[in-house]
Amino acid sequence: MAENKWKPPGDDEEDDEEVDETAYKTVKDAVLFVIEVSSSMLTPPPPTDSKKADTDSPTSAALKCAYALMQQRIISNPNDMMGVLLYGTEKSKFNSENDATGNLSYPHCYLLTDLDIPAAEDVKALKTLVEDEDEFRKLVVPSKESVSMANVLFCANQIFTTKAPNFSSRRLFIVTDNDDPHAAEKAAKSSAAVRAKDLYDLGVLIELFPISRPDQEFDKRKFYDDIVYNQVSTDPEAPAPISGPAKASSIGDGISLLNSLLSNINSKAVARRALFSNIPLEVGPGFKISVKGFIIFKRQDPKRSCYVYLAGEKAQIATGVTTELSSDTARTVEKVEIKKAYRFGGEQILFTPEEISSLRNFGEPCIRILGFKPISMLPIWANLKPATFIYPSEEDYIGSTRVFAALHAKLLSSQKMGITWFIARKNAAPVLAALYPGPESLDENGMQTLPPGLWLIPLPYADDIRQNPEITTLIRAPEPLIDRMRLVIQQLQLPKAKYDPGKYPNPSLQWHYRILQAMALGEDLPEMPEDKTVPRYRQIHKRAGEYVLDWGRELDAQHEAWLKENSSSSSLLMGTGGVGAKRAAAAGGEGEGEGAGRKKAKVEEMDDAGMKKAFADDKVGKLTVAVLRAWLEGKGVDGKGKKGELVDRVTRVFEAK
Amino acid sequence: MAEKESTVYIVDVGASMGSTQIGRDVSDLDFAMTYIWDKITSTVALDRKTATLGVVGLRTDDTENELSHEESFEHISVLHEISNILLPDLKELRSKIVLSSTDNGDAISAIVIAIQMIIKYCKKLKYKRKIVLVTDGRGSLDADPDSVQEITNKIKQDNMELVIVGVDFDDAEFGFKEEDKDPQKAKNEQIFAELAESCGGIFGTLQQAVEELGMPRLKTTRPVHSYKDQLTLGDPVEYHSAACIDVERYPRTMVRRPMAASRFVQKQDPTDGSTSSTGTVVHDGDIPMPDADGNELAGVKSSRTYQVLDEGAPGGKRDVDRDDLAKGYEYGRTAVHINESDENVTKLETQKKLEIIGFIPWANYDRFMSMTVSSVLIAQRTNSISIMALSSLIHALFELESYAIARLVAKEDNPPLIILLAPSIEVDYECLLDVQIPFAEDVRSYKFPPLDRVVTISGKVIKEHRNLPDDALSSAMSKYVDQMDLSTFGRDDDGNPSEYMPMTDTFSPVLHRIDQAVRWRAVHPTEPVPPPHEILVRYSNPPEELVNRSKKRLGKLMAAADVKKVPPKVQGRRRNRNEVKPLSGLNVEALLGGDQKKAKVSAQNAIPDFKRLLDSAESIDALRDAAQQLGKIIEGRIKDSFGNIAYARALDEIKSLREEMTEMEEPALFNDFARQLKRKLLAEELGGNRKDFWWEFRKSKLGLVDKKATETSDATEEDAKSVSYEPLPPLSCQTTTDLISSGH
Repeated sequence: MAENKWKPPGDDEEDDEEVDETAYKTVKDAVLFVIEVSSSMLTPPPPTDSKKADTDSPTSAALKCAYALMQQRIISNPNDMMGVLLYGTEKSKFNSENDATGNLSYPHCYLLTDLDIPAAEDVKALKTLVEDEDEFRKLVVPSKESVSMANVLFCANQIFTTKAPNFSSRRLFIVTDNDDPHAAEKAAKSSAAVRAKDLYDLGVLIELFPISRPDQEFDKRKFYDDIVYNQVSTDPEAPAPISGPAKASSIGDGISLLNSLLSNINSKAVARRALFSNIPLEVGPGFKISVKGFIIFKRQDPKRSCYVYLAGEKAQIATGVTTELSSDTARTVEKVEIKKAYRFGGEQILFTPEEISSLRNFGEPCIRILGFKPISMLPIWANLKPATFIYPSEEDYIGSTRVFAALHAKLLSSQKMGITWFIARKNAAPVLAALYPGPESLDENGMQTLPPGLWLIPLPYADDIRQNPEITTLIRAPEPLIDRMRLVIQQLQLPKAKYDPGKYPNPSLQWHYRILQAMALGEDLPEMPEDKTVPRYRQIHKRAGEYVLDWGRELDAQHEAWLKENSSSSSLLMGTGGVGAKRAAAAGGEGEGEGAGRKKAKVEEMDDAGMKKAFADDKVGKLTVAVLRAWLEGKGVDGKGKKGELVDRVTRVFEAK
Repeated sequence: MAEKESTVYIVDVGASMGSTQIGRDVSDLDFAMTYIWDKITSTVALDRKTATLGVVGLRTDDTENELSHEESFEHISVLHEISNILLPDLKELRSKIVLSSTDNGDAISAIVIAIQMIIKYCKKLKYKRKIVLVTDGRGSLDADPDSVQEITNKIKQDNMELVIVGVDFDDAEFGFKEEDKDPQKAKNEQIFAELAESCGGIFGTLQQAVEELGMPRLKTTRPVHSYKDQLTLGDPVEYHSAACIDVERYPRTMVRRPMAASRFVQKQDPTDGSTSSTGTVVHDGDIPMPDADGNELAGVKSSRTYQVLDEGAPGGKRDVDRDDLAKGYEYGRTAVHINESDENVTKLETQKKLEIIGFIPWANYDRFMSMTVSSVLIAQRTNSISIMALSSLIHALFELESYAIARLVAKEDNPPLIILLAPSIEVDYECLLDVQIPFAEDVRSYKFPPLDRVVTISGKVIKEHRNLPDDALSSAMSKYVDQMDLSTFGRDDDGNPSEYMPMTDTFSPVLHRIDQAVRWRAVHPTEPVPPPHEILVRYSNPPEELVNRSKKRLGKLMAAADVKKVPPKVQGRRRNRNEVKPLSGLNVEALLGGDQKKAKVSAQNAIPDFKRLLDSAESIDALRDAAQQLGKIIEGRIKDSFGNIAYARALDEIKSLREEMTEMEEPALFNDFARQLKRKLLAEELGGNRKDFWWEFRKSKLGLVDKKATETSDATEEDAKSVSYEPLPPLSCQTTTDLISSGH
């Protein structure tokens, strides 16, 4: 497939399914970090003997998190907004625009990064603050007077309403170690609660990332339980019972504050977006429950290239606008005028839009269970694209969760899967999908790594299944050779005998953004980073090297034996396959060092057994002329002429026998 | 490369074909043509020059063939010489294949004509030769044994395939026998059967042939390798202990999409003026047949213009010249421009390689992590040592029940991929199968609560809860699932239990539906497309027999589940606002004291103020007052908006107003506002020409709340439509570009 790197976005005509996927992506998320600055927030932990000495003060750790999240979101959510607001600072700063119109002031609130899609300058400013201690000390000075939380929350309110008014997901991340900011001021506490309610009414979700002080556990009951609302009522996409709020991170308990904060924030970093909401899952005829679908696995690609306008004062991204024109008069065409036609017999067969949509229509969206099969009936190759995660919702059918849970438990314990007829959206093409049970999996800290639920795995239709390429010769490895390979495999298990995607960042994606960041910030191009997907050669050599060499020697011996056996049966010709093939193939042994790695240009050769098999299977015609010619000439037969003639000659050799 | 093929269809159009048999509502000829048209159009659909066919009419009124001077060849007409068939040929054939008024004409002679045609066309070249005869067998046959023998010899000698399909022919295998068969027809059937058999052809009854038409044809694709190099373990450059095996990788699954449509519009009447540019526009693609009303059509092409933000320009955007644009990427909202010479600077340099990273046991792989279509990996076919080497890996993986994880770079400088390699061993086939698995960035860490326990906010773990199944439900579910087993519900060819609906028996409904419709339309331009073939919807429901068998268990399951549908009215309705409380349960309303009734909606905090006002409202007047206050603020916002800067916020507030009024069942309060807003916008009372705001409004689907949404609405669906769509005229030229950019 020709790849056109510079194709402007949106140029290709995607089919209906893809279009819907982009609609899903446009659910936009805005996150505002609100980080407290105070003397305790600026106190680094007491020095310890631990190797990973924790030197970050809570504020500095929070800023590092914000910086990490900002870089990450540029890659993973390029259309989402982010901002950083410090409070409790000596200085105050808010965007000027609002100062002019509203004449509002938010004392001791410092808007470090205004809420927006991050720009290179924002990244740079955060980076400087995180990396340059002088800058940090200059800016991050705690105020002597206390800050009104009501004011902070209203400041956030204004940021959201002016900068991200129509965002469907708006979230406030509060990082603080002060569990009772207005201990003695009842009125201040009340007005904070009222301002929190305002945010709730705006649909802004408050996520608290509390930090426990060394001497004192963070107690949410003192203040924050009046501020934070249950997610259910605010987030229509969330399933009924929610995952609990973040646990308090604390200083000096072994695991570094930064890491625990990072992992807490990471777990909330992505706004959960449903791919589809409240589709009926039909367990049996007339028995429905409601479920939502989520995309957990999706290939993250670099954002496509765009056009940059250079003639202005500063470089600007140019947005493309597509207009449909009629090819006869070049007049602009409205979407409703367009008819679709299919090429057939050199001409176009026309259908009205109504006909097209009725042709594609196979019923309303649903996931209908047709029956069940053991999961062993789902071969590993029966795959087309990532699975969709589904989870119950009580919105359409009360009791959905318990039915779903019962089905989930049954499928897991019996190792069965449902077979479903699945229409994801109106007019989406129907798919047959396996309904595959997935258990909840937790890491060593009890954090969920994979959620419990059912996975819809789209199954290939007969049309999508390709035939295996033909093989001319099947040589089963003899037992002793397999035994040696088994030893090799046993040495090289992945850590914890599991593939953990988290351990393998996508090297080309990371490189792409690393270069872009350097260019955007005007930095030197970075060194090649470590590519975690490259095998650990040294370890492989150390752990399995001897076993591989063993296997290589056995392979040579077994192959020799095989050659002897197979050439004796047909007394004629040269023992092909040997030298050339051996070099091409395998491991180690004597004097192979330099030759083994490089691939060499080789004339493909066919041995007698292979040719005999090809003849028996009537597949001589599938071989290339080069192979046929080489084989014939090896037999002392004329190798010139057209393919058909060569095939005939080969056939005659065997028929003569 | 597909083989060249040449087929001659012999269609019996004799007068007797005009009769209609009991049990069918079409004449025998139409019935026969169902079969023939399907065959012909599927050849046309191949869109291959080397797929050729010809058509011979049998028992035609006229005689038109090369041997017409001989008496036995009368009433046989070559309707179409062998050629590649295009749509106009189909049209011509449609007009030529008509019922005749004669019953004379010899089928055997027609076969001779067909043989002649093929010999003449294919010469000695390599072709797939085929003759298909469809007849009712009621004509007289000149079955002289010698000439039949000669025909048989010729057919066999030239490797032709003969297919004879008859209307209501007896077929024991299919299970059809015509009652009171005409003795002449019985005799003819006998002759046809013997002829077909003697030259290794096919003889069958039309009913069966037509029924099988619904069975989708699968296209075969020649395998093209996606990687052809070595599979390595370790680094062969650094370490002598590295293993290398020559392998080739081919696709195992690949989504086959429905044929692509092209877009057309009605041509404008040339007298319409301003069509002088016709000559400069290049037609891309074919000109279609005129549409149903006979209008000529023109292709549609896309033209792309580019815009940048410019506060000085009307609408805040300005068109820019394509030549002033450079290529680049977005980093956040910053444009990073890249010189053409550095085009590949963001591209990771990689070498073509397939390297094993390590191994994992089968049990530790979650099947739903597979991301892509699958491939098959085999050893280089002519390389015996590699075949043996790979075989040892396949078997060792199999014996250890393990997968290999590998890094694949299929071509130089391609991005690396991680694949899972699984062993596959069949009676006469060995290979590794692979799928891509996710990188760190491909996984979204969404958290969901457990399904087997409920954890309360205080951290308590509960095992009995309305969201958890009780024993009765669990056991009913278990029994139901077991009853609905498909693994042995199917029947194989010998009638033994086998898997129901294996993947090889399922066909892409949309793909074949469109294929069916296009081929149908090509032959029947004015008729509606028939319903989809049964096979395409067979698997949209559980098999009936199984459903009947499981009725009782389903009933028990439903009883134990006690699921209740949420009535549509309640759904989405606001819960009692008093229920909305922070985690502590604090009553925030109470904090505000009693003076909130006098509160006003402020522009700064409009939505929360408005909602708060609604909460305390005790009369419809209070609701109206709140709605009007918010309405004023919205209008003010639009009026004062610099360009479109405040539009989004205004829309957000309108949305709030609409939602709340719908929930309060006072849609009229919103509808009044919307009508007023529109009037003011059109009258340019809100800061000049603000039509662009109305477009945004429409796009956001914020029109009147109609009766369909809320019964108490004062607006019908038509009202809603007319307010949203009507008098707003096609926009004035100056703003057109804007509107397009904002979502069309």
